[in-house]
Amino acid sequence: MEQALPDPERRLQPAPLEPLGHPDAGLESAVGEEAEGARDEGPGDGSMMENNFWLKKIEISVSEAEKRTGRNAMNMQETYTAYLIETRSVEHIDGQSVLTDSLWRRYSEFELLRNYLLVYYPHIVVPPLPEKRAEFVWHKLSADNMDPDFVERRRIGLENFLLRVASHPILCRDKIFYLFLTQEGNWKETVNETGFQLKADSRLKALNATFRVKNPDKRFTELKHYSDELQSVISHLLRVRARVADRLYGVYKVHGNYGRVFSEWSAIEKEMGDGLQSAGHHMDVYASSIDDILEDEEHYADQLKEYLFYAEALRAVCRKHELMQYDLEMAAQDLASKKQQCEELATGTVRTFSLKGMTTKLFGQETPEQREARIKVLEEQINEGEQQLKSKNQEGREFVKNAWADIERFKEQKNHDLKEALISYAVMQISMCKKGIQVWTNAKECFSKM
Amino acid sequence: MSGGPPKALPSTGPQSLRDMPHPLAGSSSEEAVGGDSTPSPDLLTARSFGDKDLILPNGGTPAGPASPASSSSLLNRLQLDDDIDGETRDLFVTVDDPKKHVCTMETYITYRITTKSTRVEFDLPEYSVRRRYQDFDWLRNKLEESQPTHLIPPLPEKFVVKGVVDRFSEEFVETRRKALDKFLKRITDHPVLSFNEHFNVFLTAKDLNAHKKQGMALLTRVGESVKHVTGGYKLRSRPLEFAAIGEYLDTFALKLGTIDRIAQRIIKEEIEYLVELREYGPVYSTWSALEGELAEPLEGVSACIGNCSTALEELTEDMTEDFLPVLREYILYSDCMKSVLKKRDQVQAEYEAKLEAVALRKEERPKVPANVEKCQDRMECFNADLKADMERWQNSKRQDFRQLLMGMADKNIQYYEKSGRRVCIQVGLEDAKCDSELFATG
Repeated sequence: MEQALPDPERRLQPAPLEPLGHPDAGLESAVGEEAEGARDEGPGDGSMMENNFWLKKIEISVSEAEKRTGRNAMNMQETYTAYLIETRSVEHIDGQSVLTDSLWRRYSEFELLRNYLLVYYPHIVVPPLPEKRAEFVWHKLSADNMDPDFVERRRIGLENFLLRVASHPILCRDKIFYLFLTQEGNWKETVNETGFQLKADSRLKALNATFRVKNPDKRFTELKHYSDELQSVISHLLRVRARVADRLYGVYKVHGNYGRVFSEWSAIEKEMGDGLQSAGHHMDVYASSIDDILEDEEHYADQLKEYLFYAEALRAVCRKHELMQYDLEMAAQDLASKKQQCEELATGTVRTFSLKGMTTKLFGQETPEQREARIKVLEEQINEGEQQLKSKNQEGREFVKNAWADIERFKEQKNHDLKEALISYAVMQISMCKKGIQVWTNAKECFSKM
Repeated sequence: MSGGPPKALPSTGPQSLRDMPHPLAGSSSEEAVGGDSTPSPDLLTARSFGDKDLILPNGGTPAGPASPASSSSLLNRLQLDDDIDGETRDLFVTVDDPKKHVCTMETYITYRITTKSTRVEFDLPEYSVRRRYQDFDWLRNKLEESQPTHLIPPLPEKFVVKGVVDRFSEEFVETRRKALDKFLKRITDHPVLSFNEHFNVFLTAKDLNAHKKQGMALLTRVGESVKHVTGGYKLRSRPLEFAAIGEYLDTFALKLGTIDRIAQRIIKEEIEYLVELREYGPVYSTWSALEGELAEPLEGVSACIGNCSTALEELTEDMTEDFLPVLREYILYSDCMKSVLKKRDQVQAEYEAKLEAVALRKEERPKVPANVEKCQDRMECFNADLKADMERWQNSKRQDFRQLLMGMADKNIQYYEKSGRRVCIQVGLEDAKCDSELFATG
């Protein structure tokens, strides 16, 4: 497996200890006590953590896939694939690993984990899962989810996902993630108990914000354009690549026919017979070599796919920013309007439309006492509003700061990974050319002996 | 080539072509035969068709005066034919320089035919004339008429579907030129045909049309008599060797047809692959425009794919222009051979019928009449000529296919080398390392 895996050494580096502008930051610190190995003892104690980091590391692998049958929510029989996740702790001194946890999970549980992470870490570019259904297939690959090749590639993709999360400085400390690796039963209930689904922003709200936000941070706007373009170009690339693979397969396989006809021809020849026969054999070798070549190329395609899906995660962070910014703008607008109302009430001029003004016109003026009461209410609201605006502003700035830090981290990771992917793709091409030269040179020698 | 005089075979009756060692096959045939090295006189009149070729004496043919054009008297030349070193050659013919001629009635192409020869049959040492396809066609017809016992090489297809192929395109003209060149070279290599009067006229005459009008018909005696063979005689039994040749040619043509279809299919698939590649490469360029650090490697991949596309296009063009035409020509060639075989069958059938007629006459001392003897001569000459031509054909087929298939392998090697080298450069390998990377074994 030649994928660009995250560097094992980077798995559990000490995470930056800046406070997260999120109410549930407390969850992460709770992880410390229960976690083994390099999980920290709590925020704020960098030195302790570093000691632990060098003592122990953990290794995660998705080692097996198994077909299962069970009953679904509607009590109907269903077939699904379960994946075995094994966690090992490695003693740094002697490099030996000990199996600490082993459990089975299915794809939908991975999805649940990711959705949870998306809600609780909106400022993080959350690693994507491998595709749910096979897309960008070329004719040989089955689009069937039960196909062994698809399952195998998915297993690798899921392992990659876990390694990415485990090597992320912030995500790796999440308790739910830890429980995902260690607590087989009841994990789903635990996740759902966090109530994360309720905390999720509605799609509609996010879309609304996208169109109406007035002053988003320019960097996020640019980043959103970039992620859109990236998605578009990688999709196009994968689609064409699949067609290229299809055609290349055809070219190689047709050469196999030479093998048969040379063999038949050699039967009627005297001196030419041997040369033809052995050349035919080389043509067969050539035709069958394409299977391995294209299998290797699938790994390259998977690496590109990961970043196709990463683009979506990038967009999600941008959307969150837009939403927060929109929220802020709305709150500021509301506050301004209330201040206006208050001023008008105090001075007696009516410039803004208000329901009270309307009813006053219809039903008569209010008494000075009533007016005082209203001003008081408004003043309270304005106070509250100013507090809220202040904290929203603070949250917004925190978000931008933390998100941008993770985006920078992501950019470096992306450049590194894709550079490696492109190099390994080039190496595959060189290997293919080398094999081609070898086969045809062998065939040429056979022909020369004709 | 073969060290001594060709071995004579024991006259045990007709043998299959396969079992008989090739007279010019060198040591292997000598081992297979062993025994006798001097032909016995009985063989001169024997009915075993196999030995006729192997008789060495120049004047050894039993029937009719030996004419210089009879192949059996020129067997020595057979040995020399296989020497491609050119030292023993005294006739060189080349076809080149196609030119388009536009006239009121038609437009056509002429080719320059250059001849260099020391033969006495040529007045000048060098000739240069221009000929068009029609003239080649005329030559071929004349050769078939005047040398009916010999295999005349095929011409490239006469008719071209207008609208599908452009008769004046560079590729078409070049392909045709090569085929015409091959045609003349095959005649040049033939010990009998190269001395043909019509061939001489074709190579030397300033105004070929004048000669055509004269209707020169210089036929050999054998040719003359064969020409008058009427069809309609039923063949009793075809001698094994000719039956074997016939069977061989049938299967051979079938296999070539299959190879032609496979080659065409490969080219088609390669072209479709090329179409996709031409879309694939630029997408990397588009992506590269979005990126910073990744821009260079992405652009590099795009360039590599572009390079591969160019190399692939060259491969498909080469295969279309060089490989397919030669393959098709051999199918035509085996068709030519088969029609000559049919003629031979006819000659044999006539002889057998006449012989039978004599046998039925129930004379006390049946004497073979002169006309039947003539038939026998005719048949035996034909058999000898045909066998000699078949051997020659087999040899040149072997060389031609060796060259053709090695060429095909070469073109593919070059394609992979060109593609691979560019990627090596992309990954940062130096030139020297590229070679060891691409050509290392194992």
